[in-house]
Amino acid sequence: MAAPDELFCWEGDWGLPSVSTDSLVVLAYAQFAGAPLKLRKISNPWRSPSGSLPALRTNQKETLSRPSEIIIHLRKQKYNADYDLSAKEGADSLAFISLMEEKLVPALIYTFWIEPKNYVDVTRRWYAEHMPFPLNFFLPGRMQRQQLEKLRLLRGDESLEAGEELEKELYRDAAECMNLLSQRLGSHKFFFGDSPSSLDAYVFGHLAPVLKSKLPNGKLQQHLKSLDNLTNFCTNILLLYFPRDGRESSSQKTSPQPEAGDFDHVPNKRRKQFLSALVALGAMLSYALLSGMVSIQHVQREALEEPPDMQPIGSHDHEEEGDD
Amino acid sequence: MSLAADAFVSQMAAAEPWPESATLYQPLKEDQILLSDCASSLAVQAYLRMCSLPVQVVCKANAEYMSPSGKIPFIHVGNQVVSELGPIVQFTKAKGHSLSDGLDDVQRAEMKAYMELVNNMLLTAELYIQWCDDATAAEISRPRYSSPYSWPLSNILAYQKQWEVRRKMNAIGWGGKTLEQVYEDVSQCCQALSQRLGTQPYFFNKQPTELDALVFGHLFTILTTRLTSTELAERIKSYSNLLSFCRRIEQNYFEGKSS
Repeated sequence: MAAPDELFCWEGDWGLPSVSTDSLVVLAYAQFAGAPLKLRKISNPWRSPSGSLPALRTNQKETLSRPSEIIIHLRKQKYNADYDLSAKEGADSLAFISLMEEKLVPALIYTFWIEPKNYVDVTRRWYAEHMPFPLNFFLPGRMQRQQLEKLRLLRGDESLEAGEELEKELYRDAAECMNLLSQRLGSHKFFFGDSPSSLDAYVFGHLAPVLKSKLPNGKLQQHLKSLDNLTNFCTNILLLYFPRDGRESSSQKTSPQPEAGDFDHVPNKRRKQFLSALVALGAMLSYALLSGMVSIQHVQREALEEPPDMQPIGSHDHEEEGDD
Repeated sequence: MSLAADAFVSQMAAAEPWPESATLYQPLKEDQILLSDCASSLAVQAYLRMCSLPVQVVCKANAEYMSPSGKIPFIHVGNQVVSELGPIVQFTKAKGHSLSDGLDDVQRAEMKAYMELVNNMLLTAELYIQWCDDATAAEISRPRYSSPYSWPLSNILAYQKQWEVRRKMNAIGWGGKTLEQVYEDVSQCCQALSQRLGTQPYFFNKQPTELDALVFGHLFTILTTRLTSTELAERIKSYSNLLSFCRRIEQNYFEGKSS
């Protein structure tokens, strides 16, 4: 183990180490297993080796991007958070992870990407503010189209659109899934025994964004908050395994400009100002060139062409001197 | 799939008892039905038999297009049509027939989780092998799927279906998997089911639940269907308790009554 593996994942916010579910799952698992990863929190998916986030670049320069693949890879490196589980507990983990993928994931896609108000006010805004300049115009929209496509394929409905009927169905499934998880967790601290396992990482990754994000349409969050043990489970993991992120984000938000309006909060402000000035200058110049200033340039060029005419004479002199 | 419509249906259903004339629709058994549809259909039949609800199986070439959710199978009871196991379970529950009443909350949570495990891994693996493995798709799935239709339409429909399934696989991250990885997933799923079953006759003690019906439907169909390779069935055969579980349900619910 010469160089540690590098993990690329989305930046954190809202008191979370990362805003995306998949990144959170991997981060939580790595923490639980104590895997020494070189963490790269970025907000530009194009800088990730796989073009999407999260991604793990192993020290053999392999790139893994699905959370399950990353977890299997870490397990092979002997960073195994599921070491203490019995075979039956391992089976239960697999079952509950499937339950979340089938019942909770569609509702999460809906609430973050499809629900119009949530998407415009929170999701698109967050990604647009955090991505670097040219990407922020088109990547959030493209990500949304991908998520919509995914939801359509998952539901087998080609013309699926945001709507009350769909929302009700998805949220009912999700609420049922949360209830089942809550019943399974009971009054325990973690799902199996005293230490967290991969199932805890998955549950945390899926529920923590719901709990911590401030969505205008927060029906899922309301339901989650009514399940005390799951809420405590998430805050507990945040406190125990990500103590820095909770504090960092709260200080980050207050320190630069304490609530001085959202427009002051634009990242890369300098670069954007510079670029817009450049664009304006270019427009002015091209206008000037196209509307009759061409002749002036012509005269200038003629004036400039004279010295080159003289140069050969000069060099010629040199040669003559050399010949002598 | 439509749960909202379903809730309405179950309210309506509660009043009426189960009629004798209930029918279950599926594609043509000999020439058309594919592994995954056959498994889902068998799961529903097993469930209804466990509830002792009589149902008549009808094979229709256009069953997929008759189904309200586009999925196989669906049942026609009185003046209601319900498709897929999950909604059918809710529907029968509204009529007062349930197999999972004896479970406590944790057991019910586990039962639901294992049902999703089967849907998430076994069903997806069946779909993958049917449509994403080129040999199986060319030799079995496309010819069978399009068997009731004449030439230009048959090709169009079969390739349309294949295209749709492949897009779904890409969306859920299965697109990049190899056949070997899919078999590995099936093994993992069977391993989990086998561990959970242990030495019990059914997944939750002595009484069967909808989970037993679902697992039976998928495993029995995989074991008895001939594909281009026997690998899928071989993976299941290494778990002896799952094999005896399938035999037990077949004997208890299918052999005596079907004759």
